[in-house]
Amino acid sequence: MGDWEWPLILFTVLGQIAVGIILMLWWLDRSRDHLNTKLFKQGVNVSGILLALALLASLFHLGHPEAAYRALAHLGSSWLSREILLFLLTFLAWIYLFWQSRQQAISRILESGATPITTSEIAAGVQQTDNRSLGLGITSVLGLLGIASSAMIYVLPRVPAWNNVGPVLFFLLTTGLLGALCTLVLGTKLLQPVQKNLLLKWSLGCTILSLLLYVVYGSLLSGSAEGSLTLSFLLNSPLFWARALLGWLAPLLLLVSLLRNSQVEKPNLILIVTLLVCLGEVLGRALFYLSAVGIHINALF
Amino acid sequence: MSKQLGFLHNSEKCVGCRGCEMACKNEYQTDATPQWRKVFQLNEDAFSLPTRMFFSMACNHCAHPECLRVCPVEAYTKRDDGIVIHDPNRCIGCRLCTMACPYDRPQFNPAKKKVEKCNLCYQRIDKGEKPACVAACIPGALELVEINDSLDQKTGVLKTLPGLPSPKITTPSIRFIGPKQGKQIRRD
Ligand code: SF4
Ligand code: SF4
Repeated sequence: MGDWEWPLILFTVLGQIAVGIILMLWWLDRSRDHLNTKLFKQGVNVSGILLALALLASLFHLGHPEAAYRALAHLGSSWLSREILLFLLTFLAWIYLFWQSRQQAISRILESGATPITTSEIAAGVQQTDNRSLGLGITSVLGLLGIASSAMIYVLPRVPAWNNVGPVLFFLLTTGLLGALCTLVLGTKLLQPVQKNLLLKWSLGCTILSLLLYVVYGSLLSGSAEGSLTLSFLLNSPLFWARALLGWLAPLLLLVSLLRNSQVEKPNLILIVTLLVCLGEVLGRALFYLSAVGIHINALF
Repeated sequence: MSKQLGFLHNSEKCVGCRGCEMACKNEYQTDATPQWRKVFQLNEDAFSLPTRMFFSMACNHCAHPECLRVCPVEAYTKRDDGIVIHDPNRCIGCRLCTMACPYDRPQFNPAKKKVEKCNLCYQRIDKGEKPACVAACIPGALELVEINDSLDQKTGVLKTLPGLPSPKITTPSIRFIGPKQGKQIRRD
């Protein structure tokens, strides 16, 4: 059995929320002027803080954090090297986004409908929106590649429970789910009703997919002796049932009720769902590490 | 890689004295917890007749070392003679290699916050000497050999023993001469 890997839990979950927010902003920005400038700015700020915290947390996993820069040395075959490179590139792309978010003054004039606006101001605003979309796209793609690389680290022939597509799907689903919910929280007052509805539907889809995927994953675990140990650890762990209740079942019911009464604004309920899912994902990630059983020498001592 | 050095362990000769473990610790004056080489007792019920036998295992200098593949700092290198060397000066203590090796042979040293493992006494081999464990084995159960087809074709040479991870994962460079069933060597 594995250990409580706090630095890795924080690094993966916080990094995935950060990339998820940027991804959602990119999605909302797909047709010009759909993304509120203030939301863009807030989203960029929050994702930057989370990304920085994630990178900082990852250092605590190392025996020698002062030499962390060396982790870039083995891009040829180490997914850990690739992950670090892609996360650093994501951070660089985020810096570009941050700079973009400081340049959004003109867009705000356009949004507020203040007059008079000259044609050159309109052209500059359009250019900024294009740059913003490009920045969000680049950061999202790099971030998603970084997250996929994070997951590939765990695809080890020695650990049957991880040696499959599970880690990649789990990590990407966390990104999609928490990205959407955190964007909903940030955009309580800034999102249009139709955007809120889309994000809620997306979150519900991710929750259902996550639950179904886990059922399939669990049933496949019994295919190997080590996988069966992982399965029985999970089923006997109160943490797993807490994760199932708080991270899947409760959010599922709350999301359905939010979507049913979507005319009524319920910011507090969205916040509660987000906190529950956050807790569920943290517990889920802790269990990911705790329940890993590697193939090992089976002898008396 | 021109050849592959490795170990041949003869469970028929091994008395489980742990002399190899001690010789290794003595040679490198390793800290208390890391155990580069370890003597294991086979599960008695792994054979049709109760069999009390031992095998000794350090790093297997695998043909496809998972440790080397996953290490982000290139602390691992494989020499032309197949020895997989770990350089502690490069190691940053991420412990990924300890998760990837099915034999648990890279060991995390909590005092140094780095991993360490058997480097097959390459400095002794380069001087024409035997590895410390091999030199110390009184019954001659542990040998340094070249792993090749002619060794594998010899009668009684096994690629694995009951209770060991499948050699398909890393293609370890260790061979065994299995125990005689029903034989029991008492050490306790
Ligand atoms: S036994 Fe483990 S540490 Fe040694 S080469 Fe094989 S995979 Fe690497
Ligand atoms: S613990 Fe050291 S040797 Fe092992 S993978 Fe990490 S950096 Fe490489």
